[in-house]
Amino acid sequence: MYICNQTVTYIMRRDVFQAIADPIRRAIIELLASESLTVNQVAEQFEISRPAISKHLKILSECGIISFNQVGRERLCLIQPQKLIPAFLWIKQYNKLWEDRIDSFENYINQLQSKQQKNE
Amino acid sequence: MSDLADRTATIEKTFNAPLKLVWDAWTQSEHIVKWWAPKGMDIKVIEHNFEVGGTWKYSMLMPDGNEFISEGKYIEIKVQERIVTRADFKPMTQNVELQIHFEADKDQTKFIFKVIHATPEYCKQQEEMGFYNGWGSAFDRLDRFLKNSIN
Repeated sequence: MYICNQTVTYIMRRDVFQAIADPIRRAIIELLASESLTVNQVAEQFEISRPAISKHLKILSECGIISFNQVGRERLCLIQPQKLIPAFLWIKQYNKLWEDRIDSFENYINQLQSKQQKNE
Repeated sequence: MSDLADRTATIEKTFNAPLKLVWDAWTQSEHIVKWWAPKGMDIKVIEHNFEVGGTWKYSMLMPDGNEFISEGKYIEIKVQERIVTRADFKPMTQNVELQIHFEADKDQTKFIFKVIHATPEYCKQQEEMGFYNGWGSAFDRLDRFLKNSIN
């Protein structure tokens, strides 16, 4: 039973990083970032099978990156850009993270230094 | 190893403070909480065992409520001279090595900081995930998209 629970927890862990870990899903996100498309329209853009596209869309939906809107007989895929923010933040952080952190460290030791000099 | 330069980011600085102060500020948790986290982010020091083989773990709360975990294990410590530690920045940049070198220069301190990514294979994998090229422009587009949605 314990093992079962572990498995379920793992499968349910869907987040933006999982969404963007696959090149097809990144391409789908790029596509849907510029316009909302139906499932068929998305599938037409790729050479992989329709079921494979459906699977990627399902994962994106489980990650909260897209939502579906039923329009007549078609399902429209809508991007949820706010869900991409954690990844977005992460990349911005990554690029400048260390420089900013070292700058922040330098500011801090300058503060410490001037505090000590005042006390002397 | 010829590839080492390709997977190493280096920052060199001279701090206008004596070595002891710089060393203490870098290695003591009451100081670390003051500078480690980016502006506007809260940091918690969960573990900080500053000794060879000791582990460290910091948690930062992102504005959206998610936690950003940084953790690692000290490999080498030479007091007021050198620190080598493994580091993981979850969920994305894992398995890097940080090397920090301190050297007194009169009242100033020379500081060399290196982030060494694991292996060329690992870097390639990250590249395939798009983080070093291409993906940035996709995010620029999304950035504009977000701004347009807000306006």
